[in-house]
Amino acid sequence: MFRNCAIIGCGQTKHTSRRRDVSVAELAQQAVQAALDDAGITMKDVGCVVSGNMQGFGGVAQPEQWLGDWIGCPGKPAIRIATGGTTGGSVGQGACYTVASGMYDVSIGVAWEKHSDSKEAGATTGLMHVGMGNLFHALTYGLSLRNLIATSAVGAAAGVAVYQAMFYMHRSGCKQEHLDMVAAKARRNAAKNQYAHLQWPNCRPEDIAKTETIAWPFRYGHVCPASDGASCIVVAEEKTAKRLCKQPAWFLGLASYSDEENQLQSENFGGVGVIDPSEQMGCRVSAKKAYAMAGITDPQKEIDLAEIYQPFPSQELIFSERLGLFDDGTAWRHMEKGETDINGRLPISVSGGVNATNAIGSSALQRILEAALQIQGKAGEHQVPKKVRKAVAHGWGGVTNYITCTVLGDSPR
Amino acid sequence: MEKRIAIIGYAQSRHQYDVQKTREDLVFDVAKEALANAGILREELGTVVTASTDFLDGRTISNVFLSMAVGAFLKDESKVEEDGAAALQYAMMKLMTGTYDVALVEAHTVGWQFNPHQVAAYTLDPLVDRQIGLLNDIAASAIQANMYMNKYGVSVEDLAAVSVKNLGNAANNEFAARRLPDVSVGEVLKSKLYYEPLRELMISQTADGCAVVIIASEDKVRKLGVECPVWIEGVGCCQEAYLRDRDLVSLSGLKSAAQSAYQMAGITNPFTDLDLAEVTERFAHEELLICEALGLAREGRAKELVNNGVTALGGDLPVNASGGALAADPICATGLVRVVECVRQIRGEAGTHQVPGVKRALAHGQFGLCAQKNTVLILGGE
Repeated sequence: MFRNCAIIGCGQTKHTSRRRDVSVAELAQQAVQAALDDAGITMKDVGCVVSGNMQGFGGVAQPEQWLGDWIGCPGKPAIRIATGGTTGGSVGQGACYTVASGMYDVSIGVAWEKHSDSKEAGATTGLMHVGMGNLFHALTYGLSLRNLIATSAVGAAAGVAVYQAMFYMHRSGCKQEHLDMVAAKARRNAAKNQYAHLQWPNCRPEDIAKTETIAWPFRYGHVCPASDGASCIVVAEEKTAKRLCKQPAWFLGLASYSDEENQLQSENFGGVGVIDPSEQMGCRVSAKKAYAMAGITDPQKEIDLAEIYQPFPSQELIFSERLGLFDDGTAWRHMEKGETDINGRLPISVSGGVNATNAIGSSALQRILEAALQIQGKAGEHQVPKKVRKAVAHGWGGVTNYITCTVLGDSPR
Repeated sequence: MEKRIAIIGYAQSRHQYDVQKTREDLVFDVAKEALANAGILREELGTVVTASTDFLDGRTISNVFLSMAVGAFLKDESKVEEDGAAALQYAMMKLMTGTYDVALVEAHTVGWQFNPHQVAAYTLDPLVDRQIGLLNDIAASAIQANMYMNKYGVSVEDLAAVSVKNLGNAANNEFAARRLPDVSVGEVLKSKLYYEPLRELMISQTADGCAVVIIASEDKVRKLGVECPVWIEGVGCCQEAYLRDRDLVSLSGLKSAAQSAYQMAGITNPFTDLDLAEVTERFAHEELLICEALGLAREGRAKELVNNGVTALGGDLPVNASGGALAADPICATGLVRVVECVRQIRGEAGTHQVPGVKRALAHGQFGLCAQKNTVLILGGE
């Protein structure tokens, strides 16, 4: 039986490019303490700790073994989940499953990233790791030099995202100026979020358009930052949630379906298959499953708010379509009309999203956390004016092949 | 327990130093065999949980190329950076919610790709211990062994006796990497010394390996008509404090994990209620500590279990009839291999190291320096 459970406490830290005032352990601890305080409980009430970050990025293997003492692990069941960009989403879903299964009554999900601990650009972006991984992979499979160069040239997240954006723009008619609009919206929204990294009050698309193009169609102003930060949620079963919290954010549906990885299988790999990285079948089926669990039949009408994992602005458009919030190829038209603004019909990423704040391991958990804050009415300055009944939180990772999709609501299933 | 979960299929690779396969091929072959063992197709799977770590796999987000090898294409999928036994617990919780009814659990490590002892050094406190550079996983365990020996008057021969038992058992297990049928205490004590008192044959044999287990909810087990499901009767897990802040000798985390598992399974006296135990002993002395934490012996007395043959293959409660981690240690997979071995014993499919009449068995997995994280599973036949 899926036991009803809800988010009753949220905690996050201020995000900046260098949190030199704290170590990574203290950073994670700040988020956990904030979440426990928000829920009005102590670590004694917690049954299980689910944690995660991108491995290698802080230069520590299995960091939860060392910094577990800071986040309350000793003497408790503790699970580390790490799935790349979706790590935070998987951690949030893990915390939900530990409670929904009936195994534990209260769990915390905590995720963090401290990019500034790994100084090399390669280690910070993961480019070096991914590039070396490709090299060894190609050597074992015996790829030709041409294919090896082609696959390695794809690079890390930005490398895949430009192809993805081009596929989308070609199909939908979206132009570079629409990406400027999304990026400007993210920075404007972030200015209202005290925890966000890239804050730019009243940022206009023209301001973004002034930044130089770094890889077509992306400008410097389109790209997410690398942030230091952590976030934590407290998940409790129905009785505890109702007792401790006036307006819990209930888990209604969740799924994380994997697609084929979009790198080696693409046409570069000797034409084995041509995969459109903007198709995102994994996102479509994840959304279908999560909505079915939540009893949502028409997401376009029933979803009040979405938090989308959009390190690059094109992804806000692509994934809002794949999550069924708009018809295929039309998201940019709705965005252009201001429907996805903070006071629009369907506000998207009103926290500023990943485009303004990206502590990778924690980013997808932050989407769940921000959706919960909006349902609880606790978002503060960036609280949307309308009542949020059902919200969807999204995450993507891997070689654009991992998705987490979580639906939250203001009343239990 | 609200919803019962059973293991309906399993498979493991032959654990060896260099499998001469890519990671993906290794995992694909074992996953395919496990699906065949369960008698189901990939389409039946609801969710997939894998266990491995990026450091051990030698690349970032190491599961990206594995999704298809484990049959997770367009399936719910997640990865834990834990021992395989912990992945099994997570998959079990997913099934208990009723969201899915069949799950595949996979764990692997390709040990030759990246030196696992180097990885263990990277798990140390980066601000102090790693900078000083004196500690690593073997050194830390040697400290633990010395503390244990001094406190309870355990001799180095007692530790060697554990190696002799397990490596001898492994001779009957075709999947094990280090199989030494006639090894003696003297030979163990003559093997290469790493850190006093730990010698080569007292340290687990790092191997390439993979294990896969397929689990299903009770309704699904009945629907599929599985002949001999192995039920997960109890499960418990617990993490201890970091190295310098814990009592290394008592494994209190494992005690707590075992208590939860026993309570769930309704076990009051583990020694009589269990027929067999498969534990993850990365070092010879750990098997003694683990037996004590599991409540099979009083503190400091586990050596008598070994010396009197109680935990030997023909004893009252065989421990590591398969040879355990000392015989084959594909790091992330080792805990799941213990589960597979228990299932083989309960289903009577263990071949030459079969223990007669096993109805209920305990599988233990651990992760981290000096067994910091522990998972205990109680498995039972119909």
